[in-house]
Amino acid sequence: MGEKVEYFINGAGIISPQKTFDSNVFLTDVAQYDKNVLTCITPDFKAYINPIQMRRLSRMLRIGLSAATICLRDSKVFMPDGIVTATGYGFLDETAKFLGEVLKQNEKQLTPTYFMQSTSNALAGLVALTIKCMGYNNTFASKGYAFENALTDVMMQLNENASANFLVGAYDEAAEVQYKASMRVEHFKKECINNLSLFETPTKGSIQGEGSAFFMLTRKQSVSTWCGLLDMHVVYKPEGNELNDALKTFLSKNHIQPKDIDLIVSGASGDIDHDAILDSVIQSSLHTTFQTRFKHLSGEYCTATAFALWLGASMLKNQTVPEVVKVKKTQLPERLKNILVLNHYMGKSFTFILLTGLD
Amino acid sequence: MSHRVFITGFGIITSIGKNAEENFQSLVKGNYGFGPLEVLETVHRNSLSACEVKFADKELYEQAGVDAKQGFTRTSVLGLISLQEAINDAGLTHEEVKTSGLVSATTTGGIREFEKFYYELMDPELQGDFVRFTDTATSGEHCERLADYVGIKKYLGTISTACSSSANALMHGAQLIKNNKLDRVICGGAEALSKFTVNGFNALMILDKDHCRPFDSSRSGLNLGEGACYLVLESEAEVNRKKRKPIAELKGYGNANDAFHQTASSPDGAGAYSAMKLALSSARLNPDEVDYVNAHGTATENNDLSEGLGMKRVFGNTIPYFSSTKPYTGHTLAAAGSVEAAYCLMAIKHQMIWPNLNYKHMMPELGIEPITTLKQKIDLKNVLSNSFGFGGNTSSLLLASV
Repeated sequence: MGEKVEYFINGAGIISPQKTFDSNVFLTDVAQYDKNVLTCITPDFKAYINPIQMRRLSRMLRIGLSAATICLRDSKVFMPDGIVTATGYGFLDETAKFLGEVLKQNEKQLTPTYFMQSTSNALAGLVALTIKCMGYNNTFASKGYAFENALTDVMMQLNENASANFLVGAYDEAAEVQYKASMRVEHFKKECINNLSLFETPTKGSIQGEGSAFFMLTRKQSVSTWCGLLDMHVVYKPEGNELNDALKTFLSKNHIQPKDIDLIVSGASGDIDHDAILDSVIQSSLHTTFQTRFKHLSGEYCTATAFALWLGASMLKNQTVPEVVKVKKTQLPERLKNILVLNHYMGKSFTFILLTGLD
Repeated sequence: MSHRVFITGFGIITSIGKNAEENFQSLVKGNYGFGPLEVLETVHRNSLSACEVKFADKELYEQAGVDAKQGFTRTSVLGLISLQEAINDAGLTHEEVKTSGLVSATTTGGIREFEKFYYELMDPELQGDFVRFTDTATSGEHCERLADYVGIKKYLGTISTACSSSANALMHGAQLIKNNKLDRVICGGAEALSKFTVNGFNALMILDKDHCRPFDSSRSGLNLGEGACYLVLESEAEVNRKKRKPIAELKGYGNANDAFHQTASSPDGAGAYSAMKLALSSARLNPDEVDYVNAHGTATENNDLSEGLGMKRVFGNTIPYFSSTKPYTGHTLAAAGSVEAAYCLMAIKHQMIWPNLNYKHMMPELGIEPITTLKQKIDLKNVLSNSFGFGGNTSSLLLASV
C-alpha cells in the first residue's frame, strides 16, 4: 500500500466554537451550547491584528484574519505564494446589515462599509493586503463543497509550482438570517438540544455552527509538517450505489485498502436521514474501522470539512484521539497512520479526504 | 501540464442582446444598453440609469423554457439562457453535458429575490411561494440550480472574487482540464441587478449617472449592468476526437493581487501589471505579440488610471489596440470576465475591434488612447482580456486564434 505523498499540511490555524485557537490544548475543555447555535470562542484579537486595522473589521473578518495569522505563524511561512479561501454563505451578517438598511431606509442615506465587507472575497483580499501578498488569490463560494474546490485549486497551483506554499482556508458564520430562513426547510432541529447530545436526537436537522480554519499547503515536508494530504474527492447528489462505488474507486486509486485506514473522521450532522446515508457507506466497507465525529463540537456549516481536516491533521500530528470525538472504540493501532475524512453537507454533497501521518 | 485548452462554444445574454448574434450586431452598430431602470423595482429608477436586460422575469422564464414555480432567480435564469446557448453552440450531446464540469461566478447570486422576500423569509412560521427562494442569498445556489437543470454532476464550483469572478472561473476550468480532472468544463458567470448592488455601488459613490466614459479624462464612474455568459472549454484530445474546429484557444491566464486597498486599485497598477505578465508568460508570448486588449476599463477614476499604467508597464511604448466594452453592457460584475471573453472571441472570429464608446479626451497622466471606432479586417492572433475587482483581485486571460 501507500502512494507517494504529494501534498503536505505545514501549518494550521483554526477558530471554532471550541477553544481551538490555542494549539497547546486539544479538545480537552469542551464548550457546551444549549440553543442549537454554536458560535466561535475567540482569542484576544490584539495578538493577531493591529488595533488600527481592527476597528474597521467585522467580527468574521477578525476571526478569519486571526485564523490565517495563526496558520502563518505555525507554518513559519510569512509570505505564501498565494491565498485561496472558501465559504458557503459568505459574509451573511454584513450582507443582512446592509440589506436591512436598504429596506428600512428605503434605499436612502446608506454608508458602504457593510456592503464592502459583504463580498465573499473580502477575507482573501484582507489577508493579502495585511501581509502584502501579491500572488495568486481566489475565493470559492460553492455552498457545501467550497472548501473542497479551494483545496482542488491549490493542489493544481502546486502541481504547476512544486516549491510554492499556499495558504488555503475557509470561513462561515452562524448568521441569523440563514438560520431563520433555513429552519423552514429542516436544516436545523426544531427542538432545543445540548450540542453534546446531538447524536442522541434522532430527528431531522442539525445544529448551526461556524468557524474559520486555514492551512499551509505545500509539496515539501518541513519541520512544521502536520501530515500528508493524499487525495480528495467530492460526490454531488449521489444516486443508488454511486457513493459506495465512488469511495471504493477513491481508495483503490490511492492504493489504500479499507484495512489500511486507522480512523474515520465522520461528518455525521445529527440529521437522522442524512447520517443514514453516511452510515450505510461506512457499514458497507469500513464497519470495523475506528470512528470519530465532530459536528457536536463545531456545529454544521458549509465549510465544516475544514474543521474535519484540522481534526484529522491534529490527531496525526499529536498521535492522540480526544475522548469527546470517539464513537466506536475499536482497537486503535499503536501509531495512527491513515485517516479518512468522510463528510457530508445536508446529505447533498459528500467529501472524501485521505490524510497520512509521517514518520 | 502541456495540454492545450480550447473554447468550442459560448452563449451570452446582456443588455445589448439575448444571444450571441444580437450581442455581435449591437457591438458592430454601436448600440448600447444604457438607459433608465425599468425592470428592477427601486427608488432610483428616475435618478440612476444602468444597462438592464429589458425583459421581465416572466419573459426570461419563457425564453429559458422553465416554469416560474421552479424557483429560478433572475441571476439563475439569465445564466440558464446563456448556458443553454453555449451547450448548443458547442454541439454537446446530453452525455457530454453530463460528464462536464460547471464553474460559475456570481457576486450576489439571487440576492434580488432574497431582498424581495426578506421579511417573509425571516419569519419561520410563514409558508408560501417565497420559500423557493430560501437559499438565494448564497452565491453557490445559482450554480447548483443550473447544474441540476442541465444534468451536470461531475464537478461544480462557484467563484466569487467580485468583478474578476468569471475570469477566474475560466482560469479554474482551464486548469481542471490541464490537470486531467475533466475533459470538458463550462465556465462563466451570471449576475442580475438588485437593490443590494445598485445601492452598494451608489453608497461607494462610484456610479456615474451619465453614460460611462472609460479612459476619458472626464470619466466619473461606472454604470452597472446585468447579464450572463458561459464558455465551453474542451481538452485538445476532445477537440481532436470530435474533429470540430474550436473557436479559439484559452492559451494563458494570470491571477494576482494588488494588495493595496480593500476596494481601490493601486495607483501604479501593480496588480494589473502582474496579471497581464502572468497571462503572457503562461501563454509563452512576448508583449509585442498581443494584438488587442479588452480592458477592464470600468470608467472609475481609479481603475482606468491603474489599469492604464499597468498596460504601459507591460507594453512599454508600443501599446496594442485596446478598448473597454463597458459602455455597451455596463459593468456586469461577476459576469464581466466571461462576457468580455466572448466579445474577444467575436473579435477574433470577425477580425474586428470594438470601439471604446464615449471616449473624447486623453487622460493626461496616461497619454494613451483606446480604439474609438469599429476597426475591421484586423487579423487578431492574440487577445488579452482584463478583469479586476474588489479585494485587490486582478486577472487576465489570453485568447488566441486557431
